Amino acid sequence: MKEKLKTIIRKLTWTYNPATEREASDSTARNFLLHWFPAKVTKKSMSFSYSMLLGTIILTLFLILTMTGLILMFLYVPSVGKAYWSIKDLQFVVPYGWFIRDLHRVAAQLMVAVVFIHLVRVFLTGAYKHSEKIVGSYRPLNWWIGLALLLVTMLLSYTGYLLPWDQLALWAITIGDHIALSAPVVGSAISRVLIGGTIIDQNTLIRWYVAHVFFLPVIISLLILWHMWRIRKDGGLAVVEALGIERIKEDKVVAKAKTYSLMGIVTGITPTITQYRVRGEAVSSSPNLTRRVLVVMVLVTAVSMGLAFFYKAPLEQPASLMWTPNPAKAPWYFLWLQELVADTTIRLGGLTISGGFVGGIVIPTVLLLFAAAWPLIDRSPEEAIGVWFHKSRNLQNAAFILVCTVIVALIYVGAVMRGPYWHLYMPWQHWIKMPTRF
Amino acid sequence: MPDNDREGNNTETRISRRRFLTYLSGFLIVGGFLMQGVAALRSLFPRVLYEPPTKFKVGLPSDLPEGVKFIPEHRLFVIRNGDRFHSISAICTHLGCTVNLAKYSPPKEYKARSGQEISETYEFHCPCHGSKYREDGDVYAGPAPKPLPWFKMYLAPDGQIVVDTDVTVGHEFRLQV
Repeated sequence: MKEKLKTIIRKLTWTYNPATEREASDSTARNFLLHWFPAKVTKKSMSFSYSMLLGTIILTLFLILTMTGLILMFLYVPSVGKAYWSIKDLQFVVPYGWFIRDLHRVAAQLMVAVVFIHLVRVFLTGAYKHSEKIVGSYRPLNWWIGLALLLVTMLLSYTGYLLPWDQLALWAITIGDHIALSAPVVGSAISRVLIGGTIIDQNTLIRWYVAHVFFLPVIISLLILWHMWRIRKDGGLAVVEALGIERIKEDKVVAKAKTYSLMGIVTGITPTITQYRVRGEAVSSSPNLTRRVLVVMVLVTAVSMGLAFFYKAPLEQPASLMWTPNPAKAPWYFLWLQELVADTTIRLGGLTISGGFVGGIVIPTVLLLFAAAWPLIDRSPEEAIGVWFHKSRNLQNAAFILVCTVIVALIYVGAVMRGPYWHLYMPWQHWIKMPTRF
Repeated sequence: MPDNDREGNNTETRISRRRFLTYLSGFLIVGGFLMQGVAALRSLFPRVLYEPPTKFKVGLPSDLPEGVKFIPEHRLFVIRNGDRFHSISAICTHLGCTVNLAKYSPPKEYKARSGQEISETYEFHCPCHGSKYREDGDVYAGPAPKPLPWFKMYLAPDGQIVVDTDVTVGHEFRLQV
């Protein structure tokens, strides 16, 4: 009996704990959950010092968000009259409702932060660059998918932020809507679609809700899958190119084999088999990579849960257009944009261009276009791919770090140094707390 | 030599059944998707808006206090100067926040662009991005691109003052009661 039980457990778990090299390479083909891992992976690809495992961290956060989000959907009512009170209930009445909400918010904010760090990591290691070494590899594509993922992550955060229908939510939509309105020609049409009318009301809430719980999650899921699939198509993380790749090309007559799979080999053709061998120590994905992924997932979940106890989601007064909180601040990841829209109104003689358009639309679009075009502009050598701070990339790395520092500095100014009426205060100065009730 | 079919009709100018069906089905598929796309997009632009009216009553002239009064539900300031009234929007022209009323006593002195010394008892300050407006709605600080608009006012038959936020007026406008 005990032996039988052991056999059953062994049959269920051998792919995660292979006894031989043969079983290890078999496991990625046999186990559905493991099929997106390669059979072998270099130690460098798995190392924290290269990738910092940011992708796995983001995926874990996304899974936490999906699960807590699904539970929240049972408890939240997307109606102007009820939304705020359903969040109040969640906070004070629903058993553990506060925990689910806080965990959702913590994971969301972590996700925005880690996605940004991931982008920084990919830039500084030159991992977005194209090289001719691996057939079928085109890393710039994954960079563009990554930029799309960054945008969708920001949109998910923004739309989620609006749902509690408190003052924070209302004034975030108001500002977003007016940024859209400040665009020439198409501004009012975009605003119409975004808020579903001319004032922010039920139409707006239901639009943002459907975007938040359906459209954006579906889009981001598809993009995530594509992003991961591209890593495999590109031959793994960019670090393998830095390790060096031997290309062994040989013409081989493949013996006719009986096969019923799609991978069956057509007879009468002599396929050229090109082998790539990465220099550097390779080990089996199972259990080396799977174990790391598991540890990261457990740690990220633990950290998010822990933070959820200390980092409380705020709920301000119910939404009211009659008065604006003073100061009215966007969530931290949008504060750099808020700082920009407040500072970039241009006055040239009689002509005035609103900062809403310059800082809210032009600057972010230019930054995004630059980021998208960068893999095509970057002329650094192939040796720079997959290496942190390669010396041939010093100039562009410095420029990139400068842009990132400016963004972080603007966030800091917006968060710490802006008081009532958006006046500038030094970090050690205190400002008068303005009343939060009209 | 012309192409003839079995009945001897010229087929050169006619299209074959296969091609006809290909075109037809292609047209139907593309047309069907286009219709769905147009329907989906058009449905997002509401035909009827259940929104509060842009013309509304703000009360009898005798009920309005001397000086400036904020009417929160309409996001509007109504200003009375004896028997003369005008109204200024409370929606910041930068990004749409509701501006706050800042009162000054003693009055604040400043030099207008014309060089004239002016004293004012109130100003409008925006809490979101720090725009500041003079008592006539002119921007003098912050990112706001335009002055606060003035709205047309008139008397309703029942004697109440009506504000029409669809019609903006110049700074010379006053409703004399």
